[in-house]
Amino acid sequence: MKHRIPVAASTVLSLFAIASVWAHHSPSAIFDMAKRISVTGTLTKIDWVNPHIVMEMEAKGEAGKTDHWTFESNPPSWYRSVGLARADFAKAVGQTVTVEGVRAKDGTTYGYMQKIKLPDGTSLELVNGADPK
Amino acid sequence: MAKLLLSVFVCMILFSTSALAQQTGSAAVKRAPATHPDLSGLWTYAIDRAPAALKKEVNGTLTIQKIDQSARHGDATSLRGVLPSTPAPSYKPEFRAKVKDLFDHESKTDPVFYCGRPGVPRIGSPRKIVQLSTETIFFYEDISGDPYRIIPTDGRPHNPRANPSHYGDSVGRWEGDVFVVDARNFVEDSWFGEDGYFHSAEMRVIERLWKDGSNLVWQATVEDPVVLAAPWVMPPRLIRPSTDPLEESPKCVERDGPKLLNNDHHLQR
Repeated sequence: MKHRIPVAASTVLSLFAIASVWAHHSPSAIFDMAKRISVTGTLTKIDWVNPHIVMEMEAKGEAGKTDHWTFESNPPSWYRSVGLARADFAKAVGQTVTVEGVRAKDGTTYGYMQKIKLPDGTSLELVNGADPK
Repeated sequence: MAKLLLSVFVCMILFSTSALAQQTGSAAVKRAPATHPDLSGLWTYAIDRAPAALKKEVNGTLTIQKIDQSARHGDATSLRGVLPSTPAPSYKPEFRAKVKDLFDHESKTDPVFYCGRPGVPRIGSPRKIVQLSTETIFFYEDISGDPYRIIPTDGRPHNPRANPSHYGDSVGRWEGDVFVVDARNFVEDSWFGEDGYFHSAEMRVIERLWKDGSNLVWQATVEDPVVLAAPWVMPPRLIRPSTDPLEESPKCVERDGPKLLNNDHHLQR
C-alpha cells in the first residue's frame, strides 16, 4: 500500500457519521473512526450492489507484497441521486486510483470509501450535506 | 359476378363499421375518473438516505451536490388534513422489554439490515403511482427489490384467500379528496418501523394520501390489537414530485454483518 496517511480524527467522524445511514449499523461498529487512510493502487473491480457499492483494489504493501483492498461506500441509489453511475467508476478499472476512507477495526484490508481520485484527475468526495465546504 | 358483388358489399360494410368506431370511439376508450384528485406520477424518495453531499472536482472546477431529504425529514405536521401523530408507537406493557431488546440488538435482529423486505408501512410512500379507474398501483424502489402493490378501488372486499405477505392485502377507497388504503394479512417477520417495532399477524395499516398543491402527503396508521396499546398514527410526510425515473435496484449483498464488533446502530428508515 502506498501513501497510507492518517487524517484528523474529528473530520473523519463528522463525515463518516453521515456517510452510511443505509448501513443501519453505526460505522463505529466496524471501522476505526480515529484515523483516515489513503490507499493508492489499481482498481480491479466495481460491484454496483446494495446496500453498499463495493470496489476492489490491488496496492503495494509496506513489505513490497501486494495487498488486496475492498472498500464499500454509499448505496447505488445515493450515487444515482448525485448523478453518478457505475460507469463513472468502471472506466477506471485497471488503472491507478487513490481512495481515502476508514479501515475496519479487525485489521483486515477492508474500508469505507469517502473519497476517490480517478486517473483523469477527477476527485469525488462524500462531505457533510448540512454544511458542505 | 354475384360472388364479386357480395364480396364488395361485405367489404363496404366492414369498412364503414370500422370508420364509425374510429370516429366515435367512446365505447372502447377507458377514461380515468375525473372525480378524484390525480395522484399519478413520480415522487421523491421518502426513506432515509445518507445526507452527505458529493463534492466533485474536475479540472479545478468544484461542484457540490446535495441530497433532497425533505420528504423524510421535513415537518409536515401542520399541513391540511394531517392527523395528530406521535413519534413512536405505544406497546402494551408486556411487550416493551421485547421491543427494547430488539432495538438494542437491531444491527443483528433487524431483517431489513440483512436485505429483508421492509413491508408496509416501513417502505414509506410509493415512488410512482398509476391511478386507474378501478385500481391504483404503487411502485417502490428498495434495496431488497422493487415491490409493487395493486390496490383495487372498485369496492371489492379484502381477499379472504390472500396469503400473508410483507405488503399485505390492500383495498382502496376515497374519502373526499383523500385516498385511503387499508392493508392487512401480513407476515409476522417484518418490523413496521425501526427500533424493534415488531407486530403480530393481526396488524392492519391504514395509509392516507392526498395532494397538497403539487405535492403528495402520505400518513399511515398502524393498528395491532395484540401488541399495541393504541393505534399508532405516524408523522406525515410531504413528498415532492420527482423527475427521476424508476430504475431496477441492484441486488442486495449484505457483507458487513460478520464484521460487526458491537451493537452500535443508527436510524435507517
